Amino acid sequence: MERSLQRDSIPTNRIERYMARMPSLPVTVNRVMEICNSPSTSPYDLNRVISLDPVLTGQVLRLVNSAYYGLRNEVTSLPRAIIMLGMNTIKNLVVSSAILSTMSGRDDVHALDMDAFWLHSLSAAVAAKRLAACIKIPAENQEEYFVGGLLHDLGKIPLNSLFPSEYAEIMAEAPQKGTDLCEKERKFLGIDHTQVGGMIAEKWKLGVAIEDCLRLHHESLSASERNVDRVRIVALADLCARRFGPDNAGTCCFDEEAVDMMRLALSIDQTDLDDLRETMADEIEKAMIFLHIAGGDHGDKD
Amino acid sequence: MGIRIKFWGVRGSIPSPGPDTVRYGGNTICLEARCGKADRLVIIDAGSGIRSLGNSLMAADVADGLREVDIFLTHTHWDHILGFPFFAPLYIPGMTVRIHGSSSYEENHLEKVIGGQFMYRYFPVRVEELASIIEYVELGEGAFDLGEGLLLRTKRLNHPVSCMGYRFECDGKSFATVFDMEPFQNLFEAEKSGSAFDERLAREGEETAAEQNRLVETFYAGADLIIHDAQYTRREYHTARKGWGHSAVEDVIEAAQGNRVKRLALIHHDPERTDDQIDELAGKFHTEGSSDEVMDVFFAREGMEITL
Repeated sequence: MERSLQRDSIPTNRIERYMARMPSLPVTVNRVMEICNSPSTSPYDLNRVISLDPVLTGQVLRLVNSAYYGLRNEVTSLPRAIIMLGMNTIKNLVVSSAILSTMSGRDDVHALDMDAFWLHSLSAAVAAKRLAACIKIPAENQEEYFVGGLLHDLGKIPLNSLFPSEYAEIMAEAPQKGTDLCEKERKFLGIDHTQVGGMIAEKWKLGVAIEDCLRLHHESLSASERNVDRVRIVALADLCARRFGPDNAGTCCFDEEAVDMMRLALSIDQTDLDDLRETMADEIEKAMIFLHIAGGDHGDKD
Repeated sequence: MGIRIKFWGVRGSIPSPGPDTVRYGGNTICLEARCGKADRLVIIDAGSGIRSLGNSLMAADVADGLREVDIFLTHTHWDHILGFPFFAPLYIPGMTVRIHGSSSYEENHLEKVIGGQFMYRYFPVRVEELASIIEYVELGEGAFDLGEGLLLRTKRLNHPVSCMGYRFECDGKSFATVFDMEPFQNLFEAEKSGSAFDERLAREGEETAAEQNRLVETFYAGADLIIHDAQYTRREYHTARKGWGHSAVEDVIEAAQGNRVKRLALIHHDPERTDDQIDELAGKFHTEGSSDEVMDVFFAREGMEITL
């Protein structure tokens, strides 16, 4: 029998409370601690380790875009945030997120394999940046596409942590196609990960462009005119990460038709997509070396 | 009318009493400002200088009925908060002490840091035992109407902890506090030959630092007085003191001169700096003026009073 939560009973305040103290991903924790506890922390390493973790990236951008700074335009660049906030504030912030991660424990039974989640997020980030280059986005703006890809599934983390048994059922039932997963989430929990992602982006003031990436990557035709290309790039990056990414091993369902539609809408050549596989593999390998973690078989995950 | 300012502590880092600091003073930073027709009291920072200020208030203002005090903390490093438990008005029943300070990524961090001093392990009075009420007001960047014609603008500064610059405006006069402050820096490798050089990071780092420094200058531009961190000389700064969060006298003067500042008080004197050394620096850098063309530059001295 399905155990679904009633729509009215979805405790969005629980999600909001969780958002305020969201743990970093287990895969980055050790390296975060190592870098932050070094007496001579390199800003380059600090930037790198944060940019490999969607939660840390979101938290740093949240702080710099909060009332903390009186900014007129959102900051979507980590290096900029690091200089504005200073190394100590950033180190304190990311260490607190990392500590929360160690406290939540790697062995908790959650539906989402967090290592696979990390691989998928990073694959989508790498793909989004590469695809942005394909449509001639200037180099200085390509990092924003990386961030959009990195953060696109952030909404899954609160759902997975707050409703572990329900989410396990959702993951067991949902075919590995994004739209179906959203339907299942809404059916079981009354809310889906794109809506939760939109809540996070809104609450953390990550800006409309990133908010649209989180909220609309499964319905990229709904994006506003201003952000339509960005959302489509992230949506295509998500699909490509599922197809080519190491989190997937190419075994899950893959919507060829959706990819073609998106690719044509963005005027991206098939050969550019073919090149993505190698780019993603290279970048994942570099990230693993940087994080001092071993590679290997990462299974078949969403 | 206007604004009157008194320096109760001008030293940086740690109280430095002794025969070598008698003339400029050894107490860490605390300023008293009296603003407008209402003679509104504003205190900036609670370094060791706040003890004498508290005693002075007890003898006059508190006896005359003062029951609300506003303290604006620039940041929570020890030298700026260590005098707070010795601030006598805290022990007056019916007194409300409002602590204003920079917001942080942590919730209620001001209360944790300032209230946290009142524990038996640090001090013989617990916060629950205080006769006064302490309220905490966390500020982001912005503009705030403090009432009685007093306006406050805030700007984040570059220091190894969240640190706020304050600009107070009243009766057409203004003064700004810019401490503790080191100019924003590009933290990323700028040398093309460096092993960690990344062109995008280097460019973004340079642009961001320059932009933030411009914003700090805009924040204090046109003020009748700025009170600015100048702990080092340029030579000292470039000798293993980069990243410590403080400015060099020469850099501060240059920046202020280009921004229509009328008077510049240099503060946060290094604890190792003797009176004679400050006199020597004053001989080199002091100028008298108080107009847009010729800026008055002086080294702040404990007990000094200025009327704007």
